[in-house]
Amino acid sequence: MTDAVEFRAVSRHYGSTRAVDAVDLTIAEGAFFAMLGPSGSGKTTCLRLISGFEKPSGGAIRIFGEDVSSTPPHLRQVNTVFQDYALFPHMTVLDNVAYGLMVKGMGRNARYAKAEAMLDLVHLDGFATRKPAQLSGGQRQRVALARALVNEPRVLLLDEPLGALDLKLREAMQDELKSLQRRLGITFIFVTHDQSEALSMADSLAVFNAGKIAQIGTPSQIYSHPKTRFVADFVGSSNILPPTLTQTLGGPARWSSLRPEALRVAENGPLTGPVTALRYLGATTRVTIMAQGQEVAAMLPAGAALPQQGHPLTLTFDPAALHVMDEA
Amino acid sequence: MTSRATIAPRGLADRLTALFWRRPNLLLVLLVSPPLIWLGVVYLGSLAALLLQSFYAIDPMSGLIIPEFTLKTYGDLLRISNLYIIQRTLLMAVAVTVASAVMAFPVAYFAARYAKGRWKAAFYLGVMLPLWSSYLVKVYAWKLILAKEGIITWAATATHTKGLVDAALALPGVGGNSLSTSFLGTFIVFTYVWLPYMILPMQAALERVPQSMIEASADLGATSGQTFRAVTLPLAMPGIIAGSIFTFSLTLGDYIIPQIIGTSASFIGMAVYQLQGTAGNVPLAAAFAVVPIVIMLAYLTAAKRAGAFDAL
Repeated sequence: MTDAVEFRAVSRHYGSTRAVDAVDLTIAEGAFFAMLGPSGSGKTTCLRLISGFEKPSGGAIRIFGEDVSSTPPHLRQVNTVFQDYALFPHMTVLDNVAYGLMVKGMGRNARYAKAEAMLDLVHLDGFATRKPAQLSGGQRQRVALARALVNEPRVLLLDEPLGALDLKLREAMQDELKSLQRRLGITFIFVTHDQSEALSMADSLAVFNAGKIAQIGTPSQIYSHPKTRFVADFVGSSNILPPTLTQTLGGPARWSSLRPEALRVAENGPLTGPVTALRYLGATTRVTIMAQGQEVAAMLPAGAALPQQGHPLTLTFDPAALHVMDEA
Repeated sequence: MTSRATIAPRGLADRLTALFWRRPNLLLVLLVSPPLIWLGVVYLGSLAALLLQSFYAIDPMSGLIIPEFTLKTYGDLLRISNLYIIQRTLLMAVAVTVASAVMAFPVAYFAARYAKGRWKAAFYLGVMLPLWSSYLVKVYAWKLILAKEGIITWAATATHTKGLVDAALALPGVGGNSLSTSFLGTFIVFTYVWLPYMILPMQAALERVPQSMIEASADLGATSGQTFRAVTLPLAMPGIIAGSIFTFSLTLGDYIIPQIIGTSASFIGMAVYQLQGTAGNVPLAAAFAVVPIVIMLAYLTAAKRAGAFDAL
């Protein structure tokens, strides 16, 4: 099976800024792939390199085995759901969705029929004659989705697809995107800075940092076996322990990560210190203690007896939860 | 020490601010009424008085205005020689507007999409600079440029392209003895003088078209030509219409350019000028002045029907 997207040492430099720096990446056909990273980490530039709105300064990009370095965006079988949706304000919802078919020369009746079917798919039947300004944010996003999917792209790119939606809608949309992707079997690639979004939707993801990929893997690999301190910290805000402390806790003299939810309160344990912060989060409470010169956070389930600020607290964990990282 | 939650007013400024806070409409009224009085009474009022005159007629014997309502003046307006004046002016206004739009678009597009920092400043300066010099100076300068012995003839002779200029001047209807005494010359000067009024609103409209919309169109498979026709142009249309209102109405009403450059044939503005001055026929001048207003109303209605303001 050919890979949907393949990057070979792809770079995108702006003067001395290296937005994307010698990135190697393969995305399998049919994958739901996430590019996760803080702003300015190069993830959006990578997405724009796939769609063709950026040209690589070096390296090669292949889409389904074809080198696309000299293919302009309009000749790529790739469609994008833009972050601001970029719906055409002077067209109706139906004309927006049928736009890609219109510019390819499909007849009016055929393209409207197809566009209407696509609107059904995203549950927007009955909105065909409206203008984008008359829709809510969530509805606009569905139009953008339908407008991209109607072209039957081989790869669908989504730029921060849920960024502009409120929490409730975001959760519903996550499930919907996931099931849509499964049903259509198209490769979805989405960019996000929200680690929970990436973990819950993607079946594999790349964590970006400073123009490079820090780690690629499945969500559970990345969450439980972060390779670098950056990944451990960015994906799920882990406790990052220096080599000396790792050694005291029974590990090698290397940096390690310890997930807050792996810690629990005990009579005796390796980590003891005064409580420095308490943050009530509803289902859990995040407690931070100062143990051996290091702040260590623990997630305690609701209902647990809560310690008091400044009082000593002892924490313990299963030794298997201490994850030693490859590099600093 | 006791600390209060409020501060006592310290002077007139505090009291006035408080008054405007309590009565927000008062500030609005104070701000709006002077310009409203100016516009409503001085401007619209005199316009109404002028229009009223168009329903009067002059006594053919004494040349005095008879203050009685009649449509006789409008009957005079529709005489064939006057209809030629209207037709000539209208065609000129259309030609100038179309030429301005075509020439302004690339400039406005460059300024809105590509120009940054210094280039943007250079753009504004370049577009506005001609507006800072006197209109009459510009028109007389053009008379010299377009004259038979002017720089265009000289340059055309030097580059052996005199044949092109002669061919243009040989065109029936718009040609003539020299550029400065032909409709072609009038057209060139009109287009030059009104071009900034087309560029600026067009640039403002293009600036509001998000880059992502142009990208979305390409992403969906459109060629640059299709993107231009289906996305860029419709979204820039309100700005193009705004610019065309300027170039169109300014051409319809101008009486100096066709007087200095071109044939001796009359335009609406010249007719108004002569009728209310030397001819002393104020009612007919007023009736002539109604023509551009009617044309502009018809034009805007048609533009609205065609959906030119849908992207607003």
